Amino acid sequence: MTPAAPVPDEPEPVPEQVPEQGPEPTGPLRYRTRHTTRYEYGEGVSVSQHIVHLLPRDNPRQVCTSAVLSVSPEPSIRNEWQDYFGNPEAYFAVQEPHRTLVIESRIELEVKPPAPLDPTETPSWETVCKLAADPETPDAIDASQFLFDSVMVRASPALAEYAAPSFKEGRPAADAALDLMRRIFTDFTFDSTATTVATPLTEVLAHRRGVCQDFAHLGVGCLRSVGLPARYVSGYLRTHPPPGRPRLVGADMSHAWFSVWCGDEAGWIDLDPTNDKPVDADYITLAWGRDYDDVSPVRGIILGGWGHTLNVQVDVEPIDD
Amino acid sequence: MLYYGTGPVFDEMVTGGGRLRPHWQKFMGALGALDPSLMHERWEAARRLLHQNGVTYNIYGDPQGMERPWPLDMIPLLIPAVEWEKIECGLVQRASLLNSVLADLYGKQDLVRSGRLPPALLFSDRGFQRAVHGAVPTGGVYLHLYAADLARSPDGRWWVLGDRTQTPSGAGYALENRSVVSRILADAFKDGNVQALAPFFTSLREMLVSLAPAKTPDPRIVLLTPGPYNETYFEHAYLARHLGITLVEGGDLTVRDRHVFLKTLSGLDPVHVILRRLDDDYCDPLELRTDSSLGVAGLVQAVRAGTVTVANALGSGLVESLSFKPFLPMLCRHLLGEELKIPGVAMWWCGQKEERTYVTEHLDRLVIKPAFAHLGVEPVFGASLTKAERAALTAKINERPGDFIGQEQLGLSTVPTWIDDSLQPRPLVMRVYLAAKPDGGYTVMPGGLTRMSATAGRLIVSMQHGGGSKDTWVLGRSPSEYRVATSRIQGVPSEVRSMEPRTIAAREAEIRPHSGDLPSRVADQLFWLGRYAERSESVLRILRGVYSRLSDGARPGANDQLVPLMRLMDWSGMVPRDLVDLAESGTGRGLRQALQGAVFDGSHPNSLRANVQRLHRTGAGVRDRLSLDMWRVITQLDRQCEPASARSRVDTAMLLRLDDLITTLAALAGLEQESMTRGPGWRFLDIGRRLERGINCVTLMRGTRIADGAGDDPAVHEVLLELGESFMTYRERFYTTAQRTPVLYLLLCDETNPRALAYQLSHLSRHLAALPRPPMIDSKSQHSPTAAAIRLVDEAREVLREPDIIRDRFALRSALNRLADRLPEISNLLAHAYFSHAFSRSA
Repeated sequence: MTPAAPVPDEPEPVPEQVPEQGPEPTGPLRYRTRHTTRYEYGEGVSVSQHIVHLLPRDNPRQVCTSAVLSVSPEPSIRNEWQDYFGNPEAYFAVQEPHRTLVIESRIELEVKPPAPLDPTETPSWETVCKLAADPETPDAIDASQFLFDSVMVRASPALAEYAAPSFKEGRPAADAALDLMRRIFTDFTFDSTATTVATPLTEVLAHRRGVCQDFAHLGVGCLRSVGLPARYVSGYLRTHPPPGRPRLVGADMSHAWFSVWCGDEAGWIDLDPTNDKPVDADYITLAWGRDYDDVSPVRGIILGGWGHTLNVQVDVEPIDD
Repeated sequence: MLYYGTGPVFDEMVTGGGRLRPHWQKFMGALGALDPSLMHERWEAARRLLHQNGVTYNIYGDPQGMERPWPLDMIPLLIPAVEWEKIECGLVQRASLLNSVLADLYGKQDLVRSGRLPPALLFSDRGFQRAVHGAVPTGGVYLHLYAADLARSPDGRWWVLGDRTQTPSGAGYALENRSVVSRILADAFKDGNVQALAPFFTSLREMLVSLAPAKTPDPRIVLLTPGPYNETYFEHAYLARHLGITLVEGGDLTVRDRHVFLKTLSGLDPVHVILRRLDDDYCDPLELRTDSSLGVAGLVQAVRAGTVTVANALGSGLVESLSFKPFLPMLCRHLLGEELKIPGVAMWWCGQKEERTYVTEHLDRLVIKPAFAHLGVEPVFGASLTKAERAALTAKINERPGDFIGQEQLGLSTVPTWIDDSLQPRPLVMRVYLAAKPDGGYTVMPGGLTRMSATAGRLIVSMQHGGGSKDTWVLGRSPSEYRVATSRIQGVPSEVRSMEPRTIAAREAEIRPHSGDLPSRVADQLFWLGRYAERSESVLRILRGVYSRLSDGARPGANDQLVPLMRLMDWSGMVPRDLVDLAESGTGRGLRQALQGAVFDGSHPNSLRANVQRLHRTGAGVRDRLSLDMWRVITQLDRQCEPASARSRVDTAMLLRLDDLITTLAALAGLEQESMTRGPGWRFLDIGRRLERGINCVTLMRGTRIADGAGDDPAVHEVLLELGESFMTYRERFYTTAQRTPVLYLLLCDETNPRALAYQLSHLSRHLAALPRPPMIDSKSQHSPTAAAIRLVDEAREVLREPDIIRDRFALRSALNRLADRLPEISNLLAHAYFSHAFSRSA
């Protein structure tokens, strides 16, 4: 008997073009993105079912003007809805024998830079912890669900210890989180060979290596360990080609970062520990959740199809008008 | 009456003053003098009934834990009707309350948003299944079958200890207990006007039928089990049979177009209602636990589309967490506008500051339990801890307070239990079952599963910890019920009997016994059951051949015949090759050891034991399809293969044991032929047997090298006749010593000899022609695997018809090689056509 084989999630996002600091974006930017996932199976697959997070969620910072998800072969059935965290989620099933499956999302959207924020003006991190632990406002109650352990991120004394130097007594929450982001960037080495999707956070912490997903998880874990609500955000990052060189089509990758709640007024602040910068108009948000497991771009179960290869291509193209 | 001492707790039978409570008087009168020999007799009768009915349960993490006999004490727990009504009323309220709580938490979450429940309570509980949030089940009902564990405090009040909201177990055991106890205590049962359990199961079934989407003329209801290794698998099979619904494993189901289907031999059959015994997170590897191999991928989608109803609703395990319990009185006032009728045992959730302080300051008086069901750790009795242990526990609580709950330690009431020839009081917990009614509200099973702890002072009551169980009698509210039940069948004082006509009628109306009904997995397992049974027999016959010659070296030809036998053992990988030479040169200790390994060593892949274990495992997977006798024979085989003591390892003792095993295997084969209806299930089993025996026949010929010059001697012929169980026939027909040509004819070509290859092929040919059309494959096509299998069988029969093969060594050799190549391919083709269609398919 052959059990249904789970398809491994997409490999970890690895930016191939390290974003050199481009000009600080000031106004809104328009993008066209394409994200193609291609599976080749060693043997025919009779039925495949997938759940994807490939379309962008509502977000005050970005307006989506067009979003199309196409699948080949044409699925016999598909269904789209909002997941528990409000992210667009889609299910589809291909029920005819196939050896290749291509999932492609094409999005056009406009991204605004975040409202200017003085991190030193946010409430102290201890105050935010209290607001979240004993939430009274609707925002605080929403935020409080990101305080707790999730499948891939569990708070721990080790994470709290690593976070401690950033969380000095009375320090404003956003300021402390920015410091944490900087320290992760400085202390950890980007190494796409060091980890896999399944590498536990404790190992990342011990070896100080990983990719953006690990660093986002690390940030989330540290923040939760000190008692701050934190979520994992998946999306894309526009890459700037080296000066004088053309932009490489399809060379972009999925990206991930973390977001921290700094009280009702400042709300959620997105920080990218992989590139040591607060999220700006170069960043496109797809989905957020407690960790990667809540928002993995593609996850599926297939029947049959021994062995497979997977190819993912992401292209983020700025539209100049 | 024998001495019966009670402590400071409430005793169910006697008052503090030592007097029999009124509702026990009639029962004790009917029971008569507690004469140990009479009680023993009754106990034996009970054990026999339990054994006959195959009542067992499994213990996790215990290699001996498979198939423990179900521990039943014959003295029931008695509860007067008046008292029961209060319990009923309280539990109906509680079921409705928990249902409303689930509806809120999987919907608007007002309870959290309004601050009534701390967010941590919901958000840190892994039992909260976000994937099914917003999927409102049919009629808004989350809990279709609900159970509460009740305990009685010293002042005589009942308290709720815990709730079972996702897959309540034990209702089937309660019914089984009733069927046994009502028979062995027939008089007391009759006098007691005991309320019947059967109507509860009828309404449970009606409720399940009502869950099917409207206008489904012939709804298919299944019971989804994790499989035979689950602790209560017996109950799953029992309930499925009793309710007349199909027992399935996750692998039997598949999702297409957001509908759930049962994979059967003739294709996919829609499923409308799933009564599940699988925990929430295991139900769908696509959207719940991705590492679950027990669930059905896409089930959540089907649930969301409303094409199937899962009972209980996915996610309903959430309110099993103890963290909710302290909030229930408040929630009851808020949601139902009533006071909670049966209180819960006092609990303090450490996720709140004041409660945590109370718990850590009163550890000595409390039981510390995990706040969330998913944590699954054992309760700790604060009173039994040393000072240092208490400090360590406090530190643990302070580190992750939300994970702990402190519970008041309740002195459980005791109930008389027959132990060591006397009645002794034992602490009890009673589990009571409720089923949702199609039109709202709940029905309560009048009775339940009472469990006692194994020792007087032990306050953990659990079957996993060696406790026992009891029938629970709710006494006389409607005296007419019993009379109605028994008037039909005189002298059979079992209500189970009395309810059969009704159940059968219900089943006849709703069961479709068409041939495609057989799930593909079941067909696959029956096929392998046949193969393993046959393979065990062939291994066994070789071993017996060897031992019979070793134990009687004086037997004519013994030493000569050992040679081909050892060659065969080598050929089939039962002993290492170098031992074969050792045997040729005589006997030795190394040989004995290797032989015993070939019998008893379960880790040796080709040993007898390994094959019997495979047989047993395969049988366990289709236990609900086998008669009790067949299953008993299979378990007996397994026991007979357990390693023997050193003394019984001498050759003669081994020989006796192998003889016994042959008899048991023959019993199995006999039951297959004489006790199984000739449906597709039996056909697949018999195909497995025929195919394996055919393959084995070829293996014997090749392994003894009869087609080589070296093997062409009388010793080889004699051995082949013996292993082919054809010695008598040969003697009768030929009156001579074994000679090559007639031996070959008898074992290969004779269609009247049930041991001959030709016989297997002619039966295979008939079976294959009669198989239902394989699903999803165009059966008209010449390329269909069934057609290909039939062609292979025909080809093999052609080979046997060539006259040369029994005369000419070279013709024989090439024929054997061809057969050895083709026969196993039939198995692959069948697997491709019938068993794996739903798993994989090449394009």
